[in-house]
Amino acid sequence: MPRLLLLLPTSTYRTAAFVEAARRIGVELTVASEQPSTLEAANPAGFLTLDFEQPERAADAARVFATQHPINGVAGVDDNTALVAAAIATRLGLKGNPVHAAMAASDKFLQREQLAQAHVPIPRFVLRNLEEDPAAVAKSIPYPCVVKPVRLSASRGVIRADSPQAFVAAHGRLRAILQDPATAAACGDRARHYLIEEFVPGYEVALEGLVVNRRLHVLAIFDKPDPLDGPFFEETIYVTPSSVPAGLEAAIEDCAERAVRALGIVEGPIHAELRYNERGPCLIELAARPIGGRCSAVLRFGDQGVALEEVILRHALGMPIPSLQRESLAAGVMMIPIPGAGTLKEVSGVAEAKAVPLIEDVQITALPGERLVPFPEGSRYPGFIFARGETPRDVEAALRAAHQKLGFTLLPQQPPASGVGPTPP
Amino acid sequence: MAETDIRITAEPIDENRCKFVVSQPVLAGGVRRFAAAGEAHGSPLAEAIFAIPGLGVSELIVSGNIVTVVKQAPMPWQAAGRAVGAAIRAALAADVPAVTPARKPATGEGLAVTDDALYEQVAKVFDEQVNPMVARHGGRVELIDVQDAVVMLRMGGGCQGCGMADVTLRQGIEGMLAQLVPAVRGIVDITDHATGSNPYFQASKK
Repeated sequence: MPRLLLLLPTSTYRTAAFVEAARRIGVELTVASEQPSTLEAANPAGFLTLDFEQPERAADAARVFATQHPINGVAGVDDNTALVAAAIATRLGLKGNPVHAAMAASDKFLQREQLAQAHVPIPRFVLRNLEEDPAAVAKSIPYPCVVKPVRLSASRGVIRADSPQAFVAAHGRLRAILQDPATAAACGDRARHYLIEEFVPGYEVALEGLVVNRRLHVLAIFDKPDPLDGPFFEETIYVTPSSVPAGLEAAIEDCAERAVRALGIVEGPIHAELRYNERGPCLIELAARPIGGRCSAVLRFGDQGVALEEVILRHALGMPIPSLQRESLAAGVMMIPIPGAGTLKEVSGVAEAKAVPLIEDVQITALPGERLVPFPEGSRYPGFIFARGETPRDVEAALRAAHQKLGFTLLPQQPPASGVGPTPP
Repeated sequence: MAETDIRITAEPIDENRCKFVVSQPVLAGGVRRFAAAGEAHGSPLAEAIFAIPGLGVSELIVSGNIVTVVKQAPMPWQAAGRAVGAAIRAALAADVPAVTPARKPATGEGLAVTDDALYEQVAKVFDEQVNPMVARHGGRVELIDVQDAVVMLRMGGGCQGCGMADVTLRQGIEGMLAQLVPAVRGIVDITDHATGSNPYFQASKK
């Protein structure tokens, strides 16, 4: 029986989905995390502790582990572990991306440099040092612009500025975020820099894909019906199939495929964000990992409704994939907007939200007593709503109706002195 | 109680399994597992759930206020959940118990190793090995029952709602039981993880 090395950060939402997928396909599973399990001694072949911040060191440890327990495939679930998976795949000769490709996919500056060289349409950008005088920088850039951290994900720290004054304010907020010790450690050297890029007006879509032997297979294109015009970029609704015209859809897919080639991604899942307007599609981000959070639950493939995680694990192990064709129903997810700053006391209306026609599930992931931090300092949504129906329009309407049923009671909380968001445990 | 007063929260575990948390006890102080429709006789709730058309229910576990349904049909939980919810409401609104308590088989009846014997062995593993280990993260694992060689457990403390609870269960506990109590045929986690107030690892990424 083949053995899969699954790289699961202890803070991921995806544990159950990936572990259950591994069980369904019947493989020997080794779960690697950045912190040891208390049961590691009881099942040495089933657990591994790896330093996800040091991919090469993690690859060394995996190589040693594999001498005792041969590994047939490796899979990461987020940006960090995608990079570690690439290092391990390279070291052990497994299916996966080269390290430079995974690195480019997780570093927004490297990514933009390589995409620009390959003439993939992207926003104009420049990398600046956080220590530069923001007032001076503000005079040298066109507006509207967007400031972005180089390494953070989930739109954390991403702020639009329409004027020099707004830019200086945005710089201050981003600087505070990047100076948070945990964030700085996670970003490494990149915590000292940030990107300024052109704001691209238009509609935004997300593209989910699987690269198989250098070829991109598009699994789904999601519309994002809520405008993402800033000043912050909190995601809300994803609905698939997309309503973009067929010709434009082909252009979006072509843009993503060119980006995959430019970055050197040869295997595994990708998640891309693109905007389109009268000039055509423009790639905003591309990550060598699957869609985040619990959003993957909306994707099912083939007659059997195979989950995205199963597709990813089968691909990593070189096992047959029953289908890459998404089901015929429309599906959608709402990342529940953060209702404000404060400590969560209670959430009401969950049963009523679940009772809305077409709603499949409402998952409240924030716990009572948890501190909620709005964007751009925060990035943790309080929960997710899932719906499935005949048309994307029906699904979107159901998601909005269900959200209307929810009530969040927050206790006020003094903002922290630094203004930074939560840190993972 | 009127059917409209009963609140039910569905928590899909995967495409085949879903946990329904009910606002009132369904089987107070006990747990009952049904592995086939034939075992449902005398328990109106189980009879109704096994009889839901097109669902292909293969297993049902009722514990306190939690009803766990395992189905084989590809029908999404969106549709299946409504039918299960209706069955739960109807059964609880009736004048007879929704579920009759489990009948313990007499020694030597049916299985090569009785559930009582398995219970003792599993409890020993939990007490002497599992719980001292998970206690390092403030967790605990409670053995609720063994029925038809299937272990029903509940996680508490740091394990309840923990982002790595599935890993603890499938990679740790399941493996230990497979090695130490090989007669165990399966494990069912009946924990209400959504109400865990102090999980050791909390999911925090988008």
